[in-house]
Amino acid sequence: MLKRLLAITTLIIIGYWLAQGLAGVPFGQDRMLVGKYYLEHVVEQTGAVNAVTAVVVNYRGFDTLGEVTVLFIASTGVGALLWSRKKRRTARTEGSIVLTTGTRLLAPFVMLFGVYIFIHGHLTPGGGFPGGATIATAFLLLYMAFVTYEIPHRAFEKIEGAVGMTYVIVGLIGLAIGGYFLYDWIWQTWGWGHDNIGRLFSGGFIPIIYTIIGIKVGTELSGIIDNMIKEEVSK
Amino acid sequence: MNGQYASLLIALPLLSAFFVPLIKGLGERGIKYYLAVITALQTGIAAWVFQQVYSTGKPIIVMAGGWKPPVGINLYIGHFAALFVLIVAVVSFFTAVFSIWSMKVQPIDKYAMLFLLLMLGATGMIATGDIFNLFVFMEITAISAYALTAYNKTGEAAEASLKYMILGGIGSSFFLIGVALIYGSLGTLNMAQIAQLAGNMNPTVAQVGLALIVFGLAVEAELFPLNAWAPDAYQAAPHAITVMFSAFVVKAGLYATARLLYLMQAVGSWHDVLKLLVAMATLTVVVAEFAALRQKDVKRMIAYSSISQVGMIAFALALGSQAGVDAGVFHMVNHAVVKALLFLGVGYVGIKLGGTAMENFQGLGKRMPLTAFALTIGSLAAVGIPLFNIFWSKVRILIAGVEAGYTWGVALILGASVVEAVYYLRFIHAMWFAGEGERMREGLAISLILLLLAALVIVIGIYPDYIWSLAQKAGSDIFNVGQYIKNVPLMEVGA
Amino acid sequence: MISVYYFGAISLILIGLYAVLVKKNVLKMLIGLSIMETGVNLLLVSIGYISGRSAPILSEGIGPNQAVDPIPQALVLTAIVIGVATTAMALSVAIILYGKYGTLNVEEIRRLRG
Repeated sequence: MLKRLLAITTLIIIGYWLAQGLAGVPFGQDRMLVGKYYLEHVVEQTGAVNAVTAVVVNYRGFDTLGEVTVLFIASTGVGALLWSRKKRRTARTEGSIVLTTGTRLLAPFVMLFGVYIFIHGHLTPGGGFPGGATIATAFLLLYMAFVTYEIPHRAFEKIEGAVGMTYVIVGLIGLAIGGYFLYDWIWQTWGWGHDNIGRLFSGGFIPIIYTIIGIKVGTELSGIIDNMIKEEVSK
Repeated sequence: MNGQYASLLIALPLLSAFFVPLIKGLGERGIKYYLAVITALQTGIAAWVFQQVYSTGKPIIVMAGGWKPPVGINLYIGHFAALFVLIVAVVSFFTAVFSIWSMKVQPIDKYAMLFLLLMLGATGMIATGDIFNLFVFMEITAISAYALTAYNKTGEAAEASLKYMILGGIGSSFFLIGVALIYGSLGTLNMAQIAQLAGNMNPTVAQVGLALIVFGLAVEAELFPLNAWAPDAYQAAPHAITVMFSAFVVKAGLYATARLLYLMQAVGSWHDVLKLLVAMATLTVVVAEFAALRQKDVKRMIAYSSISQVGMIAFALALGSQAGVDAGVFHMVNHAVVKALLFLGVGYVGIKLGGTAMENFQGLGKRMPLTAFALTIGSLAAVGIPLFNIFWSKVRILIAGVEAGYTWGVALILGASVVEAVYYLRFIHAMWFAGEGERMREGLAISLILLLLAALVIVIGIYPDYIWSLAQKAGSDIFNVGQYIKNVPLMEVGA
Repeated sequence: MISVYYFGAISLILIGLYAVLVKKNVLKMLIGLSIMETGVNLLLVSIGYISGRSAPILSEGIGPNQAVDPIPQALVLTAIVIGVATTAMALSVAIILYGKYGTLNVEEIRRLRG
């Protein structure tokens, strides 16, 4: 009880203090500085109409590289912690007929939708992360519906690594061609897609990077599910 | 070569970490050697960057994507970053060599990836010039540290990792709220531009934002009261990883705290935040020293000692004077050398003799004389005996503390140092004057590393001038914010 | 006067923090952490909002002066992914803890002391 009171007092102090700070940042006012620059130059400089995507992949691409790395660490870490020489699925209850039929029908379309989301990242809301998560959902459905289903996790691990390397290599090509790491050489040096703004083949390397991210996130999240769902079998 | 190639410091560890799943077929030994080769390469790049920065005297600004600073993210590799990126790489190389022999727990390929990414995270935290990018690199460091803490998969390791995660999660949320407040009032995330505009900030917002950021970073920088995870994690993590935690992960957190603190110098309420940090640092020193006194496990004892030294560094960095920052940076370098030496030695003994409890160290002087000798040098240095490296930095910190008017803090730290001397002398006594034992074979590579580090301790102790001049340059890199703003080629945005 | 979005964000942060500080079950603490992260993300997005403007996708009818600040949204995207990563790590540590101790009550998981 005492602990609870202490916690509540601390929380009230923190809350008051946060409110004090936020009072100096009034809601709904235009305080953009760098943001304004992005909005004004995004289409001509990156070829993407979705400013958020352009910020994520192009202007602040370094963050995204870090973000991909964070997810990679999570999948590696989960793999390292739940490692054992022999792992197998131990679930016994088969999925109901509704679940299995539904999964059979839906899984390919869910995956297709995921691909759609990440390919159109520079045009519509979404991008590589939600797209990849959608793909992983399809695998999760398969796991729930069929007790014997397993992803080919060795191959998935290799894809994860190879795709991650491709991202860094795309960045290094930028360093070689344009002189800067993660430089958008497709849009700025080669000038591809300048007359296509607002359509699929535009946005410089954003669709490429988002495809990479989409595949990577999809395989990583499925790998995490796979690691968590399987249990060690003792002989 | 073009300065933009310094981005290889980030690209190389990433690329090689992603490459590991593809070379799983090489087997355990192959992957361990691969790890050593990559860290050696990283050391080479870091040495090149170091040489560039110190010979030209100008920082290298890496602009990711070719966008000029406030628009894109830039890396700022100035005197401080160049020095510490080199230290990170060298210590990683040593621990990678140590891991070749010491890592037994499966799966090694995952260990190698996490190892490289931990190194990457610390490098990025030190090098970045963007406040949100700092958050991303902090999370890379933290999440790989969570995984590596629990890597041994024992109950203790998982418990330590959970503690670390919960504190780290709270810390990163606080940090992000702080970033949100600063972004909300300035509209930029670039550190140089924040420093430029900080004077116009609403003092309440600045104070709350900065205090939240300091609290958030205090988890990584192991400052009281958010350092409860540290001794557990140090004890439970694999020995090689403990070396990295103490030698550079915590330094990255300290550096980030100091950098952000001095960037906001122009803010009206700045001195209140400094006072908060001084109080936290002094408490860290005192609490950790007294906790160290009653430890029965040597690794845990040295972990507490490391935390107290970190508190001392934070004290020096929070003084708000040039002398304090210089002394703090000097102490960071010395602490990295000494604690790498001690944790490597203790880890070596721990694996050889099956544990790091105090009993295992009795008679070590007769069983493993080289290791015992190196550990003695490290302990004497940690206590702050003259003619060892830490003596010089400790003296400078105390003088700077008195000059800045924190006599009470200096007195408390001096008192805590006496406690430190007691437990280190007890440790030395156990190694040389208690117990018996047979002579054991000591590995060549590890003995060489230990002796090299011990030699470094003594050389810096006798000729402190060279490192001190490096530390002064690195210190003014942090302290002199005007120069920092001038060095970053900021572009005009907006009206 | 504080806006309802800020109020919601602060409440979420405090509720999450309360769960982390008071609850004894590891899973409940982790849920608390996630709630806190959600609160922070809401705060970030609402700081970037500008009254009367729409999402920063520059198609017909939405020029640079009709869109909200894109940066906080990009930051939230990153922060969400980082939150997912932390949660995944924490859950696998919880799995190990349960395997070793047979419980998820933090008061019974206490071997490291002092």
